[in-house]
Amino acid sequence: MAQSAQPAKKSKIKGDGVWDYAFIAVALIVYAMFTAYPVLSAFIISFQEYKPLGSTYIGFDNYAATFKDDLFWRSIKNTIVYTVLTVPVALLLSFLVAIMILPLRKKLQTVFKAVYYLPVVASGVALSLVWLWIFDPMPGGIFNQFIGWFGAHNQNWLGSSATAMFSLVIMAWLSSHGASIIIYLAALLGIDDSYYEAADLDGASFLQKLWHIVIPSLKPTTLFLLVTAIIGSFQVFQNAYLMTGGGPDHATTMVGLLIFDNAFKYFEFGKAAAQSLILALIIALVSLFQFKFLGKDVDY
Amino acid sequence: MSLYNNNTGSRAGKTARNTVIVVLLLLFALATLFPIYFMVISSFGDPVEAGAVSYSLWPGKFTLESYSFFFNYSKYSYRWILNSTIVAGAVTITNVFFATMAGYAFSKLRFKGRGVLFSILLAAMMIPYQVTQVPLYILIVNTFHIENTFSALILPGLVTVYNVFLAKQFMSSIPTEIMESAKVEGCSQLQIFFRIIMPLSKTVMAVIAILTFMDSWNTFFWPFLVTNTMDMQTIQVGLKNFRFANTTYFSPMMAGATISAVPMFILFFSLQKYFLEGVTVGAVKG
Amino acid sequence: MMNKGKALSLMLAATLSVSALTACGGNKNDNGASSPAASGSAAASGSASSGAKDTITALLPPVSPTYQDNFDQMEKDFNAKYPNLTLKIEPASWEDMTQKLDTQVNAGSPPDIAFIGSDGISKYVQQGMALDLTDVATPDMTGDYDAVPLEYMKNGNGLYGFPAYMEVHALGGNKQFLEEAGIDWKKVQKDGWTYDEFREAIKKGVVKSGDKTSRYGFVFATAGVASKDYLGIMAKSAGMPAAFTKDLKYAYTSKNYLELLTDLRQMIDDGSMPKELSSVDAGKRWNMFLTGQTMITGKGLATFENSAKKNNAKIDANDGSAVKDSIKVDYIVLPVPTFAGAAPVSSTVVDGYVAFRGKKEPTAEHKANIAKAAYFLSSGKVAATTNNDLFAAHITKSGREAAASMTIDRSADNVAAVETMLSHAAPARPDIPAELGAKAIKIENEVIVPKMQALLAGEIKPQDMYDAVKKAAIDAFGQDGIVQD
Repeated sequence: MAQSAQPAKKSKIKGDGVWDYAFIAVALIVYAMFTAYPVLSAFIISFQEYKPLGSTYIGFDNYAATFKDDLFWRSIKNTIVYTVLTVPVALLLSFLVAIMILPLRKKLQTVFKAVYYLPVVASGVALSLVWLWIFDPMPGGIFNQFIGWFGAHNQNWLGSSATAMFSLVIMAWLSSHGASIIIYLAALLGIDDSYYEAADLDGASFLQKLWHIVIPSLKPTTLFLLVTAIIGSFQVFQNAYLMTGGGPDHATTMVGLLIFDNAFKYFEFGKAAAQSLILALIIALVSLFQFKFLGKDVDY
Repeated sequence: MSLYNNNTGSRAGKTARNTVIVVLLLLFALATLFPIYFMVISSFGDPVEAGAVSYSLWPGKFTLESYSFFFNYSKYSYRWILNSTIVAGAVTITNVFFATMAGYAFSKLRFKGRGVLFSILLAAMMIPYQVTQVPLYILIVNTFHIENTFSALILPGLVTVYNVFLAKQFMSSIPTEIMESAKVEGCSQLQIFFRIIMPLSKTVMAVIAILTFMDSWNTFFWPFLVTNTMDMQTIQVGLKNFRFANTTYFSPMMAGATISAVPMFILFFSLQKYFLEGVTVGAVKG
Repeated sequence: MMNKGKALSLMLAATLSVSALTACGGNKNDNGASSPAASGSAAASGSASSGAKDTITALLPPVSPTYQDNFDQMEKDFNAKYPNLTLKIEPASWEDMTQKLDTQVNAGSPPDIAFIGSDGISKYVQQGMALDLTDVATPDMTGDYDAVPLEYMKNGNGLYGFPAYMEVHALGGNKQFLEEAGIDWKKVQKDGWTYDEFREAIKKGVVKSGDKTSRYGFVFATAGVASKDYLGIMAKSAGMPAAFTKDLKYAYTSKNYLELLTDLRQMIDDGSMPKELSSVDAGKRWNMFLTGQTMITGKGLATFENSAKKNNAKIDANDGSAVKDSIKVDYIVLPVPTFAGAAPVSSTVVDGYVAFRGKKEPTAEHKANIAKAAYFLSSGKVAATTNNDLFAAHITKSGREAAASMTIDRSADNVAAVETMLSHAAPARPDIPAELGAKAIKIENEVIVPKMQALLAGEIKPQDMYDAVKKAAIDAFGQDGIVQD
């Protein structure tokens, strides 16, 4: 029974047996059928060679072929490059923008939050259409007109490997910040004023306060954003598929796109399954690494 | 707030600083919003085959013909929107209902295997979707033979782990004492859930609803895989098909893109509070 | 108590909605159009007579400009002819035709009929998913077709569909620009041209002002679905009329191939072709032609003459529906130049209606019905209308009959030019085993197309591409399976 002398220990109600499981039943069934089963199935398929009239078992061939495949390693490299170019910049931009929104009046804050979140609301397909026209390689393309003002030559943005990756990166820089900005802002607002007051007493400057109070307090948030952004970035597929198709000559083929091509363009399901499992392993390792080295004093 | 020195200089200094900030923010906002501006503005152009010389930032004339062109492209153009609505609506309702239930159970009820089960669910969030795509596709198409149906579009998304996670996080802030006193009064589990928990969880339910609807409306990959015929496609898939069939019809393509984005824009502006709030639940402690 | 009722009604609603969901699907009419072919006929297999109800599914791209508008009429006419049979047509665009078909084939439930190029047949035969119609195609049917195009639909001993037309892939020229540049196009139509002559000719067609080129000499679509066309068509006139030589060695490792690649790259370096060529797709190449941005466009199909005429009429009518900034163009059919001193061989293409089977073997009756539907689509009135629209020659007796009453407005010069090209058509190669054909298609998809993109963008040298193709060919066919000269 709840006694007022008891400390704020969150006690759980002893369940009614059946009801506990009933409540999670639907969620569990959906999970089992559409997540757990497919993952197990992916293991099995990765050891097969798929044929519409009946697959055959080929042992570790798919894995061996993947490790020998230049294109696979190239796609890993492309994905890493893409991740390194987009994630840190995105986080930094979001952080800076959040810091800048901070001193404004509440109403203005909300306006800017909405403005930055708007692109997130539009669908990837719609945005990719627009960007395709922006990147049109003929001199009339919007981006070409823009750099034309600075006297530069028109570029074949999506068609030449020097600029294709860069174009995808720009697209990412300009469209995906809404969520992180809002998260950072919320976290910033959660920093207790007393810290600042103490620092002010010591005569700390803006930059010092930033460095000694804000950044450490934001560490859990940054870690969360970093981990989720990297996980997401490793799976990136949609923009590459819709805009460059992985070209030219596989310059923008990311691992996600390679797996898709293997599965739904060449219909080598076994190979695709093997690659996707390898990808999952890589993501898990990278996340683990991040938690270990960056999350030492964060309990999440 | 006190990050910035409020004592430095005069009010003029503060205003100046804020003005600079607003200007910078506006510039960045312009860059971010430009594609959307371009999309909407260009959709009002003529539905002729362009692709010749140059695109302008301001069209010569305003017409809605490109929109009619888009809708006339296929007799199913309206159906696409309907399909997206049905799928997104169904998935939203089921998620709100069942994810909240599961989140409540994981947060408040104590039953055997609770911790283990939840960790298993959580692990799923780390698995790249590519791993499940192929087997899921084979499951739906080769095993169940329900490809190209609403079931194929809806079932895999009935309840997502992310939503369960959100609900659980939120529920942990509801004081357990409320439930305990209800139990004392003789309420059954169901009654506790419907009469007490759900009304208290309005916020997280709204957030789940909004995020799920948006995600479902915007998703492209899965509907692209499992729909074969034009009458079952969602608006995003229809848009992609339209693009491939009409590569030089610039304005109609922008019209199509706007059509697919506008419902979400409207939803966003009217329920802004929940969108923006939903982003932080689960991401920020406290 | 009230809450229990509320809960119950909620669960009832949930159950009802789930069952409604499973019930309402896309094409699930009672003939099961979207499920494997067999289940449709399984429902009908009760009666042994040929009057059993059946549905035949067809996946069709816009074969001709008005083709897809006629779908409803085609379905009606077919049903009128065979009251117990329903033809269900699913439209696709050229761009996602292959993707859609492949997805359905690999899922084990393809449409009964799909419209594809005959060069794709080997891939599906290899998978075992193409349906051999030999025993259900009546002599009436097969006798209706001209012998040559029918050959293209065969592989080994099987007949896998019916041809719709035999087309020549050529280039298209703007008469006015050609004459301004002093090119004797009538002679070219008769005698053809070598690469060197071609190179000089297109240089003359370039119009520049300072650094900007307002008109190119030659443009060829290489992006999207057109990515295989450029090399495929040019290679035929470079001494490699098929992917395999008569003794079944892979042909694209010959030195002619390297010379071809070098020549193609050269035309861009000359400035006669846009350096953004790798992003020009089918829509754009036609757009550039109509807006006077290029003198010659490729690939050119005979039907483009029709499209150009239509746009000219729109310009005359001045109603704003013509392509923006377009000019009036007289379309001239031009042959592809020959490379490396080879004999001219036209890229003749036979596209047609190919039959497929699902995981379960279709019943004999369903097979016969598929043959009926494929025959209906590729002969008689349907073929006559389509081929006329395409300015393609009729290849069935019934088609010619039906077309006798239709008039088409075509330039005599162009008609003669097409005839000339057809006279040196590339021969059909049903002797190429399905397995080899499938491997060649794989190399094309995985090596040739991506490398070509890079070559056109100027990022690799012709030698690099040639080496990559050679390496892939050796991997696939062994040192002995390739041409070495």
